[in-house]
Amino acid sequence: MTWEIDYLALAPELVIVVTLLVVLALDLFLTRPNKYWTATAAVAGTALAAIPLVILAVEGENVSMFEGSYVVDEFALVLKGLFVVSAYLVLLLSHHYIESERFYQGEYYFLLLASVLGSLVMASARDLIILFIGLELTTGPLFLLAGWRKGDAKSNEASVKYFILGVLSTAILLWGMSMLYGLTGEITFAGLATATAGLADEPAMIVAVLFVIVGFAFKISAAPFHFWAPDTYEGAPTPVTAYLSVNSKAAGFVAFLLVMYLALPELSEIWAPALWILAAASMTLGNLSALRQSNIVRLLAYSSIAQAGFMLVPFAAAAVAGTNIEEGFSATVIYLVIYALMNVGAFATVIAGANRTATGDIDGWAGLGKIDARLGVLIGIFFFSLAGIPPLAGWFAKFAMFRAVILAGGTATVVLAVIAAVNAVIALYYYARVIKAVWLDDAPAEVPARAETPPSVSLRLALLISAALTIVIGFFPAIATFVGDASRIIAAGG
Amino acid sequence: MTLADYLPIAVMLVLAAGFVAVSLIASRFFRPDRPTPEKLDPYECGIVPEVEPSQRFPVKFYLVAMLFVIFDVEIIFLFAWGAIWTELGWFGVAAVAIFTFFVLETLAYVWKRGALDWNVKRRARYIQPDVQEAA
Repeated sequence: MTWEIDYLALAPELVIVVTLLVVLALDLFLTRPNKYWTATAAVAGTALAAIPLVILAVEGENVSMFEGSYVVDEFALVLKGLFVVSAYLVLLLSHHYIESERFYQGEYYFLLLASVLGSLVMASARDLIILFIGLELTTGPLFLLAGWRKGDAKSNEASVKYFILGVLSTAILLWGMSMLYGLTGEITFAGLATATAGLADEPAMIVAVLFVIVGFAFKISAAPFHFWAPDTYEGAPTPVTAYLSVNSKAAGFVAFLLVMYLALPELSEIWAPALWILAAASMTLGNLSALRQSNIVRLLAYSSIAQAGFMLVPFAAAAVAGTNIEEGFSATVIYLVIYALMNVGAFATVIAGANRTATGDIDGWAGLGKIDARLGVLIGIFFFSLAGIPPLAGWFAKFAMFRAVILAGGTATVVLAVIAAVNAVIALYYYARVIKAVWLDDAPAEVPARAETPPSVSLRLALLISAALTIVIGFFPAIATFVGDASRIIAAGG
Repeated sequence: MTLADYLPIAVMLVLAAGFVAVSLIASRFFRPDRPTPEKLDPYECGIVPEVEPSQRFPVKFYLVAMLFVIFDVEIIFLFAWGAIWTELGWFGVAAVAIFTFFVLETLAYVWKRGALDWNVKRRARYIQPDVQEAA
């Protein structure tokens, strides 16, 4: 046994651990008017966690620890960077919201940071147990955070629905994992990859793989396992919803991709068709349901289901065709990174817009652009980007997706590409509807009074950062390509 | 592995169910049957229950049980360390010290928040009234 621990490679996680302990201690000793220091500590700690990430990225060495179970490679670094940046943005969104609604503050940041820690662990996990611990650490605190508006029935509903379905999906996932272990005697991805060779016809193996897929599909809210998402997203406090639809979804995706790509490449004939169906169903059901939504948060919930479908497309297509899997994998990672950045921005505009109009109804936002032009422009940026309109970042995500599909080739792949293309057009309709309400519709006769509190500095900062990233990546897709290329350097460990 | 390899498990399931059924039925025939009021009580010893236990329990039982489970489970890590602590040496001691610090910090947190106070009125002091009203 070796006890070699590279503390620099673990530094991002360690910084988050120390931060959450500090937040907990601060919460204990601060009086109520000074509680904002917990938020400050959380934001500062998350920003600090980015420093070792940059150092590690510059050094560019692959570190493998704990007998190959925990690996820090460029793929892990790219995704840890994504988790840290989006957690930073969500913390900025939370600050004002949590303070203004008089919630418990210290615990909020403690739980959110615990969830971030889980997602960081997951990006490095190269065996089933560490992956599972990371996944549970990511989702566990979110059950509580979804119900943070304690007096609100919808928030309680959100929490209970998320909890019950989360536990159910965990049970199914764990069942699948235990069968994988039972059939092969391996828990590391590298070990599984060799031990599963030639077992694709085994009935028990098919069941195991399908269980694992179903478990992950719940976590990433892919259709037909998406029913919890709209209700949970609507009821949870908006910053938590942003976190759910960005960090927690990205974390689920990372785990999903890692298991399929690294642990079960030999069984792609089992999981590739399942992924194809998940991708097609998520895109279609998500988009068609989004058409009928009148609430902006529910609209974004269905949009995030549909986007999960788009994200799966390149990987599923390449796996079905059996060619250029690496290309499909990196296109999925590119889509994931871009989606996360623009979706945080979209939720930031939702918080600002709801603050300004005191409603979450899209019709209630009519004429918002004329009342508050800056906010209107930002809504335009993020929603057009989600729709994939150049020159905003979203177009490159879609471009990378279709490029990977075309490279993969094959009939089933082309069918999936057609479904994706049709869905991209449907998606444009409902994203554009929000922008139409904001800019083209007339404001109601009674212009809502100026909001009591102007958007806080932290909310403005979050909007600025995500808007800047969305625009810059749109004009210089080389940044995203770099992310995609870096993610190919993925070490199996072991 | 084929499905046929699972046959022993199926056989064991049948045997286990059969054992329970046979022993229950057999004891029904062989045992003496002399019920007394004491034997029919839910608890033969201890305080005689005066009311049906179907009423609602105070939620503080749940809180204490939850805290007990959490702190109890954390001790498991110490067992694992205790089994190989000579191999781990000072590295293990340091790791366990850090772990213990985590546990103690949460204990301090729970304590200061009043979760260990059995008297709910005393606990209420720690919870700001305006927070409870948050909607």
